[in-house]
Amino acid sequence: MTAMFASNLAIPDRLLATDLNVAAGEMVALVGPNGGGKTSLLRAIARVEQATGQVSIDGENIAALSEARRARLLAFLPASRDVAWPIPARDVIALGLGARNDQRIDELVELFELTGLAERRVDRLSTGERTRVLLARALASSPRLLLLDEPLSNLEPYWVLRLIEILRASADLGGMVLVALHDLSRLEAFDRALLIANGSVVRDAFPATLMASPQFEEIFRIRAKHGNWTLRR
Amino acid sequence: MRKLIILFILGLAAAHLLLPFAPLAEARTSDPELMQLLLVELRLPRTLLVVGYGATLGISGAALQAIFANPLASPDISGASSGAALGAVLGGYWLGLTQPMALAACGATGALAAMALLIMLAGRRADTATLLLAGLAISLAAGAATSLALALAPSPFAFYDAFDWLMGSVVDRSLPQALAALIPAALACLMLLRRARALDLVALGEDVAASLGHRPRRLGLEIILLSAIAVGACVAVAGAIGFVGLVAPVLARRLTRGHPGQAMVPAALIGAILLTLADLAVRAIALDRPIPIGVVTALFGTPLFLHLIVTMRRGVAS
Amino acid sequence: MPVSASLWATSAALRVASLDLCSDEYLLLLARPSEIASVSRLSHDPADSQLWRSARRHPANRGNLESALAQRPTLLLTMGGGGRATSSIARQLGIRTLKLAFPATVADVDRTMRETALALGDARRADGWRRRLADLRTVKLPPLDAIYLTGGGGTLSPSSLGGEWLRIAGLVQRALPGGRASLETLALRPPAVVIRSTYRRAQPSLGQRWLDHPLVRNMPSRRIDTDGRRWTCAGPLMLDEIERLRSLR
Repeated sequence: MTAMFASNLAIPDRLLATDLNVAAGEMVALVGPNGGGKTSLLRAIARVEQATGQVSIDGENIAALSEARRARLLAFLPASRDVAWPIPARDVIALGLGARNDQRIDELVELFELTGLAERRVDRLSTGERTRVLLARALASSPRLLLLDEPLSNLEPYWVLRLIEILRASADLGGMVLVALHDLSRLEAFDRALLIANGSVVRDAFPATLMASPQFEEIFRIRAKHGNWTLRR
Repeated sequence: MRKLIILFILGLAAAHLLLPFAPLAEARTSDPELMQLLLVELRLPRTLLVVGYGATLGISGAALQAIFANPLASPDISGASSGAALGAVLGGYWLGLTQPMALAACGATGALAAMALLIMLAGRRADTATLLLAGLAISLAAGAATSLALALAPSPFAFYDAFDWLMGSVVDRSLPQALAALIPAALACLMLLRRARALDLVALGEDVAASLGHRPRRLGLEIILLSAIAVGACVAVAGAIGFVGLVAPVLARRLTRGHPGQAMVPAALIGAILLTLADLAVRAIALDRPIPIGVVTALFGTPLFLHLIVTMRRGVAS
Repeated sequence: MPVSASLWATSAALRVASLDLCSDEYLLLLARPSEIASVSRLSHDPADSQLWRSARRHPANRGNLESALAQRPTLLLTMGGGGRATSSIARQLGIRTLKLAFPATVADVDRTMRETALALGDARRADGWRRRLADLRTVKLPPLDAIYLTGGGGTLSPSSLGGEWLRIAGLVQRALPGGRASLETLALRPPAVVIRSTYRRAQPSLGQRWLDHPLVRNMPSRRIDTDGRRWTCAGPLMLDEIERLRSLR
């Protein structure tokens, strides 16, 4: 059974020691205020340089793995859509693959409807188009675990729904999806939601439960009322 | 395509080695061993230096541009070349070191110090203006310090050497000198080439590179260290030569669709071609006084550099 | 006349200040120690002057009148330039000036020795030197092709003063383009003799490193080292050297 076990994840000044387990097929949302630790948690699982802790996926401790093996296990999409060099979209997607695989790239180009844009340099794409290219890169190696930081921002409504569909398909095949969300309107699409504030996980529950919880109101200072949000004074 | 370029380089190097042919022919008629002596002791070091130094500038320029995520980074603009000249001058004229390898080490140390200063001043992810200003300041300071070190050196002839150190010279170098420069440079460049994939991934951001098992900060330090060694060793023998390390990677990225890491090998080839052509030009202009090779590289490099700045201002980075 | 100048004028003893490395040489060789007021500081430097030991027994001046005044000279010796103001101001102070022309030929060296000795009050002091020179010039030796070599491949012009001295030693300096001997020349068309200057040999410079190039270290020509300091002024000190070179060839 595929699973991710992470323990003692921490980033100095950003994330306090946190444990997190995710099972195969789960789509997990991370919500919380800015600077609260959502991004840090994703980065910690992705094993950035400042992070400490252990992460194992499918029983393998990812710290010691080669790039090729890691690419099959996880992919990280940062919130910034910057690509440092003016590389064609197709080549950006190819960076997600170890060996050259034109067929796979073609599949992804079609999946994310980038057909006319594949040869265009990424600095000449709109933010939304660039987001799709980077998502394609993340999915390229069919990783077990997707770590996506705010993937829905910059996307037009069609793509917001389409992306959730694609992620759901990935989870249904046994993958795990971890998404940091700013916009709470799509929270219901997820299986599980974590509320993160001040560097630690405050609440871990079903999305509906989470949104009704006192911690949620406390931290976000808004209240759900008849399906609408109001400010909590 | 690559094979064509390599053949071209070999042809160019052969031309560089054998021209002017008249003295070699003359030597052969009087004593065949003499021709061999001339080729090995006089011509070969010079050819090895222009090809090797040019390739080194290309590779380290490409690596520095990749790690700084900036198309203007290069050994000369970052101050590494001037720092290396200062190190070599202090070692050779003040510490009295004569062993070519020891001087190469002095050059590498100077280059490293300059780059460390650059990081301290500008940080690694600096915008273009900050990087340019800091690098320029370090270059000018190191260049001035080099001139001063030469002016105050015991020998009054030292002052006139400033031109060679700051504008480069491959004339009358011996084979041991050339090897003292190129062996460390080759080793360092090979290690840089092994990091091509990591440098390509850094384009997606440091976190993405880290998620795939690379260590961006350590990679940054490695690139800087290896570039400093490679460039420093070359500068210790042939002085600081500018513009090739800036221009070759820019041209190379045109061939690699913008990928900075993959551009290291093409940049090496282009750098070798550029520097060999520059030296052929120096020899073609037969004056009594030799023109420093850095003058020629500046002549063709400056228009390209200006073009680069203009296109960057228009927001279309190349 | 200013009071101070008239005070100096009354003292009869000859005191000579030399303002230039090359005039120092003539002064140090021809004058008695009590007659020397000062020499230029260049002569105090072992790297530049063979006579530094005897030069250091006398005060050093900085090559101008102002720095020489302290020793109250009665005669100023200069060679090759110096301001016109120097001699007019010196005249106002009651100090004689002798401006020696830089010798262009060996005959000029002979003439300068005589001039200096005359200024010192006794032309006969130069006789010993002049006789040696005359002896050297009478005996002609079969010429040998030679190249004088300094750092970086620098060499002499055959028509220069140094070139003429070499000819007296029986060595004919080859005419080389640009005043420079290239590595190719030394390997392909080596002269019979290379006269290698040791001027500042121990002080690092690219020119000295050039002399360590394998093609120079292993050149087939016969190598004779020479003290380069003498060749700067190519004055009376050359006599010893030329006699030595003659015997060595």
